[in-house]
Amino acid sequence: MKFGKGLAASVSILLICMLTACGGSDTSGRVQIEFFQNKPEAKGSFDALIQKFNESQSDITVVQVNPPDAETVLKTRVVKDDIPDIVGMGATDTYSLLAQSGIFMDMTGSPLLSRIDETYVQMLKDVSGMEEVIGIPYSTNANGVMYNKDIFSKLGLSVPRTWDELLATAKKAKDGGTIPFYFTYKDDWQTVLPFNALASNLEGIEFYLDRREGKVTFADRYREIAEKQLELMEYGHGDNFGKNYADGNRAFARGESAMYIQGTWAISEIRKANPEAPIGFFPLPTGDDPESNKLISGVDTLLAVAEESKHKEEAMRFIEFLLEPENSKQYISEQTLFSTVQGVTQDDPAVAELLPYLERGQVVDFADHYIPAAVQLNSIIQSFLQNRDIDAYLKKLDTEWDKVADRR
Amino acid sequence: MRTRTNWLVMILIALGTVLILFPLYMTVTIALKSPEDMLTSVFGLPKELHFENFANAIAMTNFFNALGNSAMVTTATVVLTLLTNSLVAYAIARNMNRKFFKGLYFYFISAMFIPFPIIMLPLVKLTAGLNMTNLVGLTILHTVYALAFNVFVYVGYIKSIPVALEEAARVDGTSTWGTFWRIIFPIMAPINATVGILICLSTYNDFLLPLIIISDTDSYTLPLVQYIFQGQFNTDFNLAFASYLMAMLPMIIIYLFAQKWIINGITQGAVK
Amino acid sequence: MGQGCGQALDVEEQTALTNAIPMNNEEDSSMNKRLMPYYLMTVPAVVLFFVFLTLPALQGVYYSFTNWNGFGDHYDFIGIKNYVNLFKDGNVGNAYWFTFKFAVVVTILINILSLLIAMGLNAKIKARNFFRGIYFLPNILSVLIVGYIFNYLFSNVFTIWGQNLGIGWLSTNLLGSEQHAWIGIVIVAVWQGVAYNTILYLAGLQTIPGTLYEASNLDGANRWQEFWKITFPLIAPFFTINMVLAMKNSLMVFDQIVALTNGGPGRATQSISHLIYTGGFEGGEFAYQSANSVIYFILIAAVSIAQIRFLQRREAEM
Repeated sequence: MKFGKGLAASVSILLICMLTACGGSDTSGRVQIEFFQNKPEAKGSFDALIQKFNESQSDITVVQVNPPDAETVLKTRVVKDDIPDIVGMGATDTYSLLAQSGIFMDMTGSPLLSRIDETYVQMLKDVSGMEEVIGIPYSTNANGVMYNKDIFSKLGLSVPRTWDELLATAKKAKDGGTIPFYFTYKDDWQTVLPFNALASNLEGIEFYLDRREGKVTFADRYREIAEKQLELMEYGHGDNFGKNYADGNRAFARGESAMYIQGTWAISEIRKANPEAPIGFFPLPTGDDPESNKLISGVDTLLAVAEESKHKEEAMRFIEFLLEPENSKQYISEQTLFSTVQGVTQDDPAVAELLPYLERGQVVDFADHYIPAAVQLNSIIQSFLQNRDIDAYLKKLDTEWDKVADRR
Repeated sequence: MRTRTNWLVMILIALGTVLILFPLYMTVTIALKSPEDMLTSVFGLPKELHFENFANAIAMTNFFNALGNSAMVTTATVVLTLLTNSLVAYAIARNMNRKFFKGLYFYFISAMFIPFPIIMLPLVKLTAGLNMTNLVGLTILHTVYALAFNVFVYVGYIKSIPVALEEAARVDGTSTWGTFWRIIFPIMAPINATVGILICLSTYNDFLLPLIIISDTDSYTLPLVQYIFQGQFNTDFNLAFASYLMAMLPMIIIYLFAQKWIINGITQGAVK
Repeated sequence: MGQGCGQALDVEEQTALTNAIPMNNEEDSSMNKRLMPYYLMTVPAVVLFFVFLTLPALQGVYYSFTNWNGFGDHYDFIGIKNYVNLFKDGNVGNAYWFTFKFAVVVTILINILSLLIAMGLNAKIKARNFFRGIYFLPNILSVLIVGYIFNYLFSNVFTIWGQNLGIGWLSTNLLGSEQHAWIGIVIVAVWQGVAYNTILYLAGLQTIPGTLYEASNLDGANRWQEFWKITFPLIAPFFTINMVLAMKNSLMVFDQIVALTNGGPGRATQSISHLIYTGGFEGGEFAYQSANSVIYFILIAAVSIAQIRFLQRREAEM
């Protein structure tokens, strides 16, 4: 009896401890704001900005949450009706789904938007397919081909401007005993990068609007895209499907490959492994005409506030802080991204070659931002690159698209 | 008559342990190396011990917070499970002749066949609605889900305890509750040990339930923390392995000291 | 109450009661009073069990007939459309195929290996407890963390061996291959799963009296016959429970998938649990994956019952 009672007492004490531990976060009298963002690369940069913000405030504490597979975790949170106060995510199909379901605050007419380049506000509207502006675009990225300047000059290579030149460059690198492209296809999302460049350039974003109406099919229009992506695989390394994104960043930093099809977001990771890495960057050439070849660029992070947040005003204050030119500059410099804030420029020499494209507006959004997440494009492409069956691949894209459309 | 040692079998068994120990050897050595050491030798012993990997991992993952959470949930679950599940099983075992209790028995144990993913999606909504997306909720869920298997194990054991003992107590005027706590619960010590060990292991190492239940970063348990930091770990394996090792260490230490007791406990449960 | 079953016990109880409380014609109410504590002991548990297990299961069935995405305000009833779509969905078929293939292979491998190890540990060897302790060690480790450790070994250690030894298939990451990635997951599951079953088999083997073997030695039976005639029949109950446990655990495989492949390459290693988690939350297919869960439950229940029936019949035959 005594034993049982003792145990019962200890359990109740434990439970009470746990309860108070949960509710004890507000003892400082500060409002706690949860900032959920999906980029593991950016955790350090945001931590620094958050610390600066928290020190400047007497009544707000911002806490960052950055899980892997963040979109799934975020949707789990949404199902729980437990939406983080501020969500930082890319302008993807998941964003579109969440925006349409009305869980984020409508920012239309917010004074903060006046600081933002109009192009990117429009991009958000295009992705969400809504008239309202849901969220504030914060940074944009570019997706293309990174190259090792030292290897290029050693092998006498120049930056390719057409598809044929790209393959010729890769071949020369291979003949010179260097890995042309370091593929990192153990992570399925990496296989989408060449797809985005090829699809957005060769078929354009309009394809998806037509596809929604059933006017076109992947089978009709995506053969060239599939063939070209497969052709690139000739120029990989020995274990294309065994290495992941982190492996690739390390390998490219160590000069193991001449080129690396990647986004600008990886530059900060590469520099962590080798601060002196001689990085250059060019848009992936997809056809014969250099003038019409566009750079793939999309909203890397947008900041959305939960409609049901109890601290909207405080959340907006943090967003305003992030948008200050000084802070935006700090963020894009560390992350080698591009700012949406007018007047904030990216001066990193690694991406200097991309700036003319951005200035001229010779850019196009990521194709996969327009493909429903439930299609699971990543794994379809990853699978296709292994079994190399173009017909089955195109058919799969069509059937998966129709299946998901049928379910919505 | 003593038979001689079977050396052939012993050598095979010893070789087999290499397979078990190799991944653990790699874990310990990688956790103590620096990235530069890794480039020169992946398999060798570290040239110098880089304990800063552990310090960095502790700082980065807020290790002691997660350890505290894991320890609290595990301890509370074990204690709560032993107290409640045994009680339920006792009531059932002593009334198996009644339809109600017999029905309960099958109701509980049938849940052993329900794969957790089936209830996962609605459960997320339910626990959120009940404000249970925290450590208390996690403890309660672990305890409730443990019932299925534990009722099965406990009832089997209680049936083997003679009823005569309780009847004697009842004649003395002891209440049913008193009989259970004073007479039955102490007799159940061996099976309680078995159940306690199994619950302790499964709660401490559980990943899926905390993954979908816990929202607040301050409440993350150790496995969840390893998952959450994958993005950062990917760029620094030494840091990652230091963190993995620390997360596994509490159980390994307990195991080193209580190995015989733990294995006997589990064996007991099987033989019954 | 009682309703005719367990008469003997009832009589005993009543005599005990009438001794303590000398009242007649009140048997029913006093019986209720005596049973009261038992109800109090179980009812809270039943309520919690219902709320957290049965209710979600029923809700899942309910949602499976809707088109809800899990968070919007609005949903419609769409009848059995989700179920019809499930059977047309190659990804679902793929997950079932992977999961069952994985479960069968893992179950068989775990049982063969753990029985062999248990027999080795039961033989006349030195330091038996030490070896037993090591073989059980993987069981106390987190499945997720073990997965992460092996993920590293697969990509950075085994490949080095392959390259040094010039073995083609070993020099690339096993987990990166669409055809072979599942083998990698099998290896990790077996490495860890063998521990528990070994201990159970060892417990079974230790119940067999040595005199039985001595008798068979006199009969001139060889080792092989000895195993099938004596050892195996006697540990048959352990074989049953080990098969069921290993099968059930591997049908629910989730942690290893998250740590090793995240379902890839493509969907080559996506288990049913993983599909329900990723599809149900990430893909916005809450209702659709609920329907998948219902089918999954029916299958698991059928497999478990069939397995137990089959193995028990074998036990009886032996």
